[in-house]
Amino acid sequence: MAFAWKAAGLTYNRYLAVTARVVRRSLKEGPRLQAERRGEMELKFARWENGKQSENKSLAEANVKAMADAAGSQSQ
Amino acid sequence: MSSLVLSRAARPALRAGPAVSIRPTVPNAATFATLREIEGRLKSIRNIEKITKTMKIVASTKLSRAQKAMAESRSYGKTSNTVFDKAETKALDSEGNKTLLVVASSDKGLCGGIHSGLSKIVRKKLVENPDAHVVCIGEKCKSQLGRSSGKNVVLSFAGIGRDIPTFAEAQAIADQISQLPGDYESIQIIYNSFLSAVTYEPRSIEAFSEEAIANSPNFAAFEIDDEVLSNLREYAFANSLYWALTEGHACEQSARRNAMDNASKNAGEMINKFQILFNRTRQAAITGELVDIITGASASESV
Repeated sequence: MAFAWKAAGLTYNRYLAVTARVVRRSLKEGPRLQAERRGEMELKFARWENGKQSENKSLAEANVKAMADAAGSQSQ
Repeated sequence: MSSLVLSRAARPALRAGPAVSIRPTVPNAATFATLREIEGRLKSIRNIEKITKTMKIVASTKLSRAQKAMAESRSYGKTSNTVFDKAETKALDSEGNKTLLVVASSDKGLCGGIHSGLSKIVRKKLVENPDAHVVCIGEKCKSQLGRSSGKNVVLSFAGIGRDIPTFAEAQAIADQISQLPGDYESIQIIYNSFLSAVTYEPRSIEAFSEEAIANSPNFAAFEIDDEVLSNLREYAFANSLYWALTEGHACEQSARRNAMDNASKNAGEMINKFQILFNRTRQAAITGELVDIITGASASESV
């Protein structure tokens, strides 16, 4: 079984998040606003090296970038 | 006579002393406890009581929502773990495998010892397994663990705990963790499990590695392709994480409610004590003045 999304570098969780977002966006106005609040994600994260914290970065952006990198490395 | 009344009146202030650790200078001699000082302190305690009461009410309303979310998320975690129960999956416990501890705390304090309880358990686990890596979710545990065992921390997340954790957040965290360099044979999620509205207990959920799942005795019954296995692992990890986060959130809210309840109670006690002290001091001052006036009057009369 080959998955198109896997070839695009997405993880399963990312794939689920994208599909969930599509479902939420196709809802009617009332339920959509409520549902979209469940999809919000404004986390920040930081890597640590040798006991020191590096800069706080947005998690969403970092994940998207990592997926893009994974896609690039697979297509080569 | 007035000094006797004052020294007795000052005693409640002394007893209340340790509770007001923010103000180290407690009037220990009767002469220092002027009326105005007591009045000012009384006012500030009243304000604190108001604040803690409001925070308690806020926490109570948040708690009921958090508990609802927890009940829902529990079924997520339980259902996905049923697979591993039925498959009798066990963590591979070979010596020297790499362990990852995921600590599910939050950003906010003022809720009793809920975060330090988690940190304590993590430190205990780090003593047993000094090479384990730690992922901190939430600022509170990050600052506690960053100080004591910063070398073990590999990732930290912030911004959690403002509202009820969403599954999207759990997924994003799970994704970022799975991108960490190095294969972890054992991933443990450490969270506060909600026992009742007043008690919680730090517990850990095991998130299995692919190898562990593949090696489980009843694994064949599920007919899972090798290719799908990593998806299952990722999804199960996100599920467990979501469960841990929401349960931790519910615990935090209930702990905050209790902490604020206690704080308002203590403030109420202190208000009573200070009110009595205030009344006594005022009375003593009036009595002292009266004595002065009367002695002065009688002295001038006799002349």
